[in-house]
Amino acid sequence: MIKDVAASGNARIISFAQALNIDKIVSSTAETFSRFSIEGKIGILGIICIILMAVFAPVITIYPPQKITGDSLEPPGPGHILGTDELGMDIWSQICYGARMSLTIGLAVAFAAGFGGGALGILAGYMGGHIDQALMRVIDVTMALPSLPLLIVISAFLGPSILNVILVLVLFSWAKPARIARSQTLSLKQNNYIIAAQNYGAKPFYLLWRHIFPEVMPVLLVLVIGISSHAIIAETGLAFLGLGDPTSKSWGMMLNHATGFRSIYFTPYWQWWLLPPLFMLIFLLLCLTFISRDMERILDPKLKRQKGF
Amino acid sequence: MMPGDPFLTTSADEVGEEIIVMTEEQHLYYLNYYGLDRPLSEQFLVYVKNLMMGNLGRSIYYKMPVSDVIMLHLPWTILIVVGATVISTISGVVLGTLSAKNRKNRSDRILMTGMIAFAEIPSFLLGLILLLIFSVYLRLFPLAGAITPFANYNGLVEQLWDILYHAFLPIVTLSLAQLTDVYLLTRNTLITVTTKDYIRTARAKGLGEKTVWIRHALRNALLPVVTRTGFMIGIMMGGVVLVESVFSYPGIGMTLRSAVVCRDYPLIQGILLVIAVSILVCNLLVDKIYGKLDPRVVI
Repeated sequence: MIKDVAASGNARIISFAQALNIDKIVSSTAETFSRFSIEGKIGILGIICIILMAVFAPVITIYPPQKITGDSLEPPGPGHILGTDELGMDIWSQICYGARMSLTIGLAVAFAAGFGGGALGILAGYMGGHIDQALMRVIDVTMALPSLPLLIVISAFLGPSILNVILVLVLFSWAKPARIARSQTLSLKQNNYIIAAQNYGAKPFYLLWRHIFPEVMPVLLVLVIGISSHAIIAETGLAFLGLGDPTSKSWGMMLNHATGFRSIYFTPYWQWWLLPPLFMLIFLLLCLTFISRDMERILDPKLKRQKGF
Repeated sequence: MMPGDPFLTTSADEVGEEIIVMTEEQHLYYLNYYGLDRPLSEQFLVYVKNLMMGNLGRSIYYKMPVSDVIMLHLPWTILIVVGATVISTISGVVLGTLSAKNRKNRSDRILMTGMIAFAEIPSFLLGLILLLIFSVYLRLFPLAGAITPFANYNGLVEQLWDILYHAFLPIVTLSLAQLTDVYLLTRNTLITVTTKDYIRTARAKGLGEKTVWIRHALRNALLPVVTRTGFMIGIMMGGVVLVESVFSYPGIGMTLRSAVVCRDYPLIQGILLVIAVSILVCNLLVDKIYGKLDPRVVI
């Protein structure tokens, strides 16, 4: 009897798993992974490492990042793996917790701008008419603005906080996904199967959700990665100029503190204070680039690569 | 409005330091002096009226006309931006041509992957790396500034040499950051152009490879590069703020940074105006030049 229950339980789990197609998901993930080139694989592994570092920051560090735990400017040694900064805070802890900051801002901006802008673009492309025209003009204006000088001024206006930095960055990066989603939607709308679905009485929401969004999705995903790397660059730049959140320990903030330290270049301190955040940032950005280029190649070979800061 | 009061920093020794030494009366006097106690609409009208007459207002931190402050710093920015544009365009075209010529070889693939990876490193991080390698570690180039302070020059050549010596790393940083765009564009257009019939005709006429590539292919492939150069200046005007901060180069970007830190509103407005105008002028120039280069385009 008990065995039966267990067996039926197992069977239920198995059938549940089958229903979920776990096998298929696993094999399809593996398949997608194998389609990446060597650089792409390096990129994915690198990103996974950085994510793990960010998630398990409390586990892999001994000291909290914002507490004075040693002498000022200790060189790397057994106590502090990467040494300490001018206040005696552990650099390795700052690097690990700083990864959280960069990833959060990158992801938040990318998803808000990518999918928000994408949704706007799809709606405008689908509805057409005056709404479409109005949105296109707004997009033109947004794309023509020189982003960095304005970013600097706006973030100075709004005051330094993580939320403001994210908001400002979203404001400057939604235009590209909106534009691409719109043009995709416009061309999709002409397809026979969509017209057929419309004739069968499909409501606009159903059409958008079922037919148009899944088609636009891959392109948006590629854009999201690009936007996240731009957001990380912009956040670092703002923090480097001293316009980030002064209480946060992001990598850009570390660069700001280190380069702001008087005569750092005449002392050996830059070797353990300036180099780690610099290397981590470049590594993260390169990983993101490799992934996005590979995804472009895999998902949509026709998509033209556009750049701009 | 923007947080922070510009008058809190006027008596500080260091940029960004807030020292309150003013009495309430003095503070009110300053507000009145700069017209900040009047309604916003009136302030705006006065600003626009002054702007029409070429008056950008007075900088609160530098205590001199904004246009003078900008004129003091703009030449340095123009020097490095123009230098970087020239260098990155020329080397991008040369590399792109080489790459397109050997496009089935291994060397092209390696060059292209390297260039693409390179493009993703933002210019100020690149600048930091260059600064660490060449100025800090090898001590080949100066750490900061645009000229040697308190230098006595024996003649113009020496002065020019000193200026170039200080501008070298900022220019290299900016041009490396823009190089990939030009390179990829040249490579792609060249590859498209070389499949055209007139290239085959040129070869059939018995022209040498060099003539075919330079006079027939490259000449036509350069058109998009010209447009790109215009956009490049716009992108660079943005990136220059950070690059100048890295090298403590006294251009307009550094001035914008310190103006933001001191809450010097008139100066911020003036600098943004100058940046915007310079981008617009560049785009206009590119359109004009394009019209001259390609007679098919009518403006």
